[in-house]
Amino acid sequence: MSDGANLANGAAEPVLEIIGGSKIYGGVHAIEGVNFNLYPGEVHALVGENGAGKSTLCKAIAGAIGLTSGEFRLDGKPANFEQPRDALNAGICMVYQETSLVPTMTAAQNIELGNEKLLTRFRTLNIQAQQLLQSLNFHVDPATPVAMLGTAKKQMVEIARAIYNKARIIIFDEPTASLTPEEIVHFFHLVRDLRARGVSIIYISHALEESLQIADRITVLRDGRLVITAPAKQLTRDSLVQHMVGREVAQAVYGRKEKTHQRREKVLTVENVTMGMAVKNMSFSVYAGEVVGIAGLIGSGRTEIAKVIYGALKRNLINGGTIRLRGKPIRYRVPRQAINDGIAYITEDRKANGFFETMVVDDNVYLGKLATKKGFSFLLSRARRGKLANYWVERLKISALQRKARIIELSGGNQQKVVLAKTLVQDPSIIIFDEPTRGVDVGTIPHIHAEIRRLADEGKAVVVISSYLPEVLAVSDRILVARTGRIVAEFDAAEATQDKILYAAVH
Amino acid sequence: MRWPLASRSVAVPATTPRIPFNIAKPNQEQIVLLITIVLLIVFGFTLNGFATISNLLNLLRSISILGVLGLGMGLIVISRGIDLSEVATLAGCWAIGLIEMQRGMPVGAAVLLALAIALLIGVINGVMVAFVEAPPLFVTLAAGFVIYGLAFWLAPAWVVYAPRDAPGLMFAGAGRLFGIPVPILVFAVSAIAMHLFLSRTSIGRFIYAQGDNPEAARLTGIPLRPLIVLEYSLVAFLAWLAGLVWVGTTGSMQMAITQGTMIFDVVLVVVIGGISLIGGRGSVFSVVVGCILIGTLLNAFTIMDVNSEVQNIIKGVVLLAAIVLDNFLHPRDEETARQGD
Repeated sequence: MSDGANLANGAAEPVLEIIGGSKIYGGVHAIEGVNFNLYPGEVHALVGENGAGKSTLCKAIAGAIGLTSGEFRLDGKPANFEQPRDALNAGICMVYQETSLVPTMTAAQNIELGNEKLLTRFRTLNIQAQQLLQSLNFHVDPATPVAMLGTAKKQMVEIARAIYNKARIIIFDEPTASLTPEEIVHFFHLVRDLRARGVSIIYISHALEESLQIADRITVLRDGRLVITAPAKQLTRDSLVQHMVGREVAQAVYGRKEKTHQRREKVLTVENVTMGMAVKNMSFSVYAGEVVGIAGLIGSGRTEIAKVIYGALKRNLINGGTIRLRGKPIRYRVPRQAINDGIAYITEDRKANGFFETMVVDDNVYLGKLATKKGFSFLLSRARRGKLANYWVERLKISALQRKARIIELSGGNQQKVVLAKTLVQDPSIIIFDEPTRGVDVGTIPHIHAEIRRLADEGKAVVVISSYLPEVLAVSDRILVARTGRIVAEFDAAEATQDKILYAAVH
Repeated sequence: MRWPLASRSVAVPATTPRIPFNIAKPNQEQIVLLITIVLLIVFGFTLNGFATISNLLNLLRSISILGVLGLGMGLIVISRGIDLSEVATLAGCWAIGLIEMQRGMPVGAAVLLALAIALLIGVINGVMVAFVEAPPLFVTLAAGFVIYGLAFWLAPAWVVYAPRDAPGLMFAGAGRLFGIPVPILVFAVSAIAMHLFLSRTSIGRFIYAQGDNPEAARLTGIPLRPLIVLEYSLVAFLAWLAGLVWVGTTGSMQMAITQGTMIFDVVLVVVIGGISLIGGRGSVFSVVVGCILIGTLLNAFTIMDVNSEVQNIIKGVVLLAAIVLDNFLHPRDEETARQGD
């Protein structure tokens, strides 16, 4: 484990060096004067908030974009990549989360992809791939179509492809985002194995603990500038956060206050709800004035149950169970009915279905109001639009400078706040947050948590679905754990710990 | 060791948020408008008889039918749909209406019959798209053929003439109000009404929202299915209105237009003006500008006596130029440019 760190201490020449690298998009620096280097056999983590320039830097290294100015050196010699293929030939390979594989092709075909000879025998291909996969200790059948592989195995195929392409530098972009804890442990072994082979690794992750654990050195970027590059041993989570944000983050919101809420009316009851294979016999209830956290891994049915309640998905017609809203059984065909009954769902994937990207902040918020039965008016009113938007911009502290910009141009945190505003403007009494802080910058997370608390204090029933345990622990009054479509455990906020929750969520 | 799961998972890497919005950059509508003005000036100086009031009125009048159809097509394209049965609706409903007039139905009743048929087609198209969830391209392509076949079966003639004793009907095509030909007025009023509808009413906003992101629209609580039925009904209504002008102008309805390139002309004016086929972008102004450009070209061709094959070539080139212009104005980011798609 320590050999990589030794190498990084300057015994060898850096394999890759960027001196004063800048990239300008439309007059704005995405990265500015970044000095970055990478030694052979080193794991170098890149951290920073969204928009800090991590992706831009990596894209420049992988040849997907060119630097506006600055020097790019490979093995001490200046290099200039015209296209990603050049970087690949130079041994630089980027491993995306799971996007760059062709799902209908087999693992072996995917490994070979881009290097096919005119004629290839399936048998030869499979044997070659088998040998490669075995040498890496990957248990993947080369003849299986990639679509049938799990996330972890897809990632293995990606890595195998990188090795097949003789990669010396591998860039991992959020590699652990959708892995289970065991898979992450295995993945870390793999990274260490690659490092032992002399492969240099750039590791982008939002998980600071992971970066501290796996990396030899960590570079922090903020607003396109390099803040610090230091050995991981000299850094802690708190110091990293401080460097990322440039100030002390208000930790107060994270520490739970004393139990202030009082259970009131039972608002929502879910009884034995079943939907296909995703949700099986799920039961729980939600009370007004409390925050219920639902923890669970991806695929545990937590998003699906939220969508079933909201009417975006339909539960089974026969033996589908019952959902009661204040004692009255409900079954929604479309989300509109749920909204009119005061139920809100805030999506986990805002880019796919959270906001209207061609419209400005005000229009997004106003549309949320217009879409409700009570808020509908045939004619638009500028005054009403401005009033609604002003209130929510103020309340959620949405960056007011960007009011005139289309929402797609805002930062992740501001986008999420607009999605919140667009939903909360509908006056819901039950609010389901699905991954409320995914892709949200560290500085904004406390705002969102404070809003969740405030809603519960106003007497609304709040459900927070999250795979980020510190978040669940921080905001919830009561924690439910979902596993394979069921609720398997329930904790009071006072007695819950990460270990207890994980134990229930995994096995 | 800390639990590795205690980590923030982020699915969307942020790459775009720092590009400022550049208001000085002209959009496609403004560029097309500029080209049109330049063409008008050039033709005005070079072509004999182009820059006369009567010719310019003629020009506007010639584009009014295309314009009314284009307003409908624009609406549906903004909502991320398309209606290829629009011209067939126009021809079909009026062919049946006119044949009933010949068979003795009162003119007013037959006009309303045509409207009812058009609206029925619109509702059926809408239901197929909204409730059966079939792709609009195929639904309306198939609907166009069915309408053509049914209309030909009910009104078996290539050209169905309007009865001679229906001056009210002819007013829509040949009449003048305040000295302005009625077709131009029909186009102008429709365009203003459509503009107000799209930009000043919440339904209009819903249509843009649907074109922008249908799933987000659904989750926001916008009643998508009724909205889609309404959209296709509006297109059918505009097809009926364009048909009224057509019948008034020519005194007849030709079924042959369903087999011609007219539907592509309609798509052409919409796309040239900057209504993007991916939905949610563009406005009524786009349709008007696209129409005027095409009308100017066609009018100049007529004066110059250019034959129809050459006209088709030029129309095709103009469409391609519009697409190239669109790409030039909205360059794809460096990444896709380097990697290809």
